Amino acid sequence: MSEREDSIAQAYAVRLLASLGRQAEAALALPMEHPALRWSRSGLMALTGTPESPLMFPAPLAACADGVLAALAALGPAGALDGIDGAALLGERAAIAGHQRGGAVSPGGACRLLQAADGWLALNLARDDDWDLLPAWLEAELAPGWEGLAEAVRERPVAPLIEQGRLLGLALADARPAADTPPWQRGFAASPRVPRSRPPRVLDLSSLWAGPLCGKMLHRLGADVVKLESTQRPDGARNGPPAFFDLMNAGKRSVALDLGSSEGRAQLRRLIVAADIVIEASRPRALRQMGFDAEALAREHRLTWISLSGYGRGEPQEQWIAYGDDAAVAAGLSDTLHRATGQALIVGDAIADPLTGLHAALAAWAGWQAGGGLLVSLALRDVVRHCLQFDLPADDDALRVRQREWTERAAGDGGARLPRARTAHGVAPALGEHTVAVLAEWAAC
Amino acid sequence: MAKTALKAGARFKSTVCDTQVMVVKAPAGEFELRCGGADVVGATAPAAAGGTLDPALSGETLIGKRYVNADESLELLCTKGGKGTLSLDGVALEIKQAKQLPSSD
Repeated sequence: MSEREDSIAQAYAVRLLASLGRQAEAALALPMEHPALRWSRSGLMALTGTPESPLMFPAPLAACADGVLAALAALGPAGALDGIDGAALLGERAAIAGHQRGGAVSPGGACRLLQAADGWLALNLARDDDWDLLPAWLEAELAPGWEGLAEAVRERPVAPLIEQGRLLGLALADARPAADTPPWQRGFAASPRVPRSRPPRVLDLSSLWAGPLCGKMLHRLGADVVKLESTQRPDGARNGPPAFFDLMNAGKRSVALDLGSSEGRAQLRRLIVAADIVIEASRPRALRQMGFDAEALAREHRLTWISLSGYGRGEPQEQWIAYGDDAAVAAGLSDTLHRATGQALIVGDAIADPLTGLHAALAAWAGWQAGGGLLVSLALRDVVRHCLQFDLPADDDALRVRQREWTERAAGDGGARLPRARTAHGVAPALGEHTVAVLAEWAAC
Repeated sequence: MAKTALKAGARFKSTVCDTQVMVVKAPAGEFELRCGGADVVGATAPAAAGGTLDPALSGETLIGKRYVNADESLELLCTKGGKGTLSLDGVALEIKQAKQLPSSD
């Protein structure tokens, strides 16, 4: 049993590589530790549970993070990812920001599990003006703050709340997951590798955590990564802790364009067609409204286009927004922990973001090696669900048994360690610091 | 012309194009809310006899965009795009600037 459990990360890496038509050509670099200890030692256990007591999670999510990192390392230049601890990556934002577990409240504080009349839902009010939408969501005036909100939600059934909230562009999720087993990515078609004479050019259009982490991992593998932001709406993480923004973005070059102008859009198009990999996490309609057809661009210009979303492309789900905490709830993490412990809890700190970022880097690098011409879609919810289901006990009894056994194992090892963060090598570029240089270099006609 | 009360959360649809909107906020009172020159109806109302879009009021609505009046006391969210221009008491609504991104999630 234990030997099998120690090799879960390896099995996950092999599974991911096989799904891309690849295999590891050398031994995978993996910490040979029990998945329960990967959870407790990485800081994830400290980020999960009530303020009084940190909690084990009865599926090997931390080991899956190790596995995806090992799979990525196996495809990249030897040694490029040495020294990175996959599981610890999931806790490093909390380590920098000082976030702590808060039971049914996310460590970042914006997402909460709320009891509705017939179930639970997660609501993530990440933007201050999301609060302005609540009267329209509930069709009622509310007492200010979470308490009034919780009271109003308690009387209403989940399904219509989700429907109305999604129309309004709120990030929310039914805690009871759909009973499906989605692939972790869609759109990858395995094909023979093509020789590459230079490292890839990566155009990173994303913000916050998942996409920037993907770009950062590609940078570690040797890619030339350009972070592109709109002058009107720069990456919101610029207003967060600088140490975290540096960790995600140091080493990238920064281009800022006025995407409201036709000139800015023309410049964006030139950069896209000059890239090998595009990382993008906007809703598809946003690019379409600007005149960009991602699928056609990927096909015609041999790009590997990484499309990150909460729930995937296609109607209606491409309209739904998600952040890392609510997407993890939608994937079933809180439901799983509830079945194991009877408590309604958020799991980790926006855990869907870094998990998806790592998987996205793997898809991006493999797609580039296979010659591009692909749009690969990764949904936060589906990536987390793929990790959750990789080695999930078959029924609730088995889940509770594992919860107990893994908890004891972690306790015997000293219990939960605090999350920790790497130190950035250098600082992130200022907004638009390299606009002129990159346009000249990449988009020369 | 029909005046209607606009309540947060209420949903309306155009009778001359595909536009659908939800009221995010609205001042008290009754107003003439139109799209493409014709009164909107409740989103669940039976399909009205096909009206015609006033070509002078075919400025288009885009899904996901917010539409506001001059003092932003009215805010509508477009939940389905269409060809008509939204107007309140005869004055065309304008697109509200996109929200700033959060600093974290």
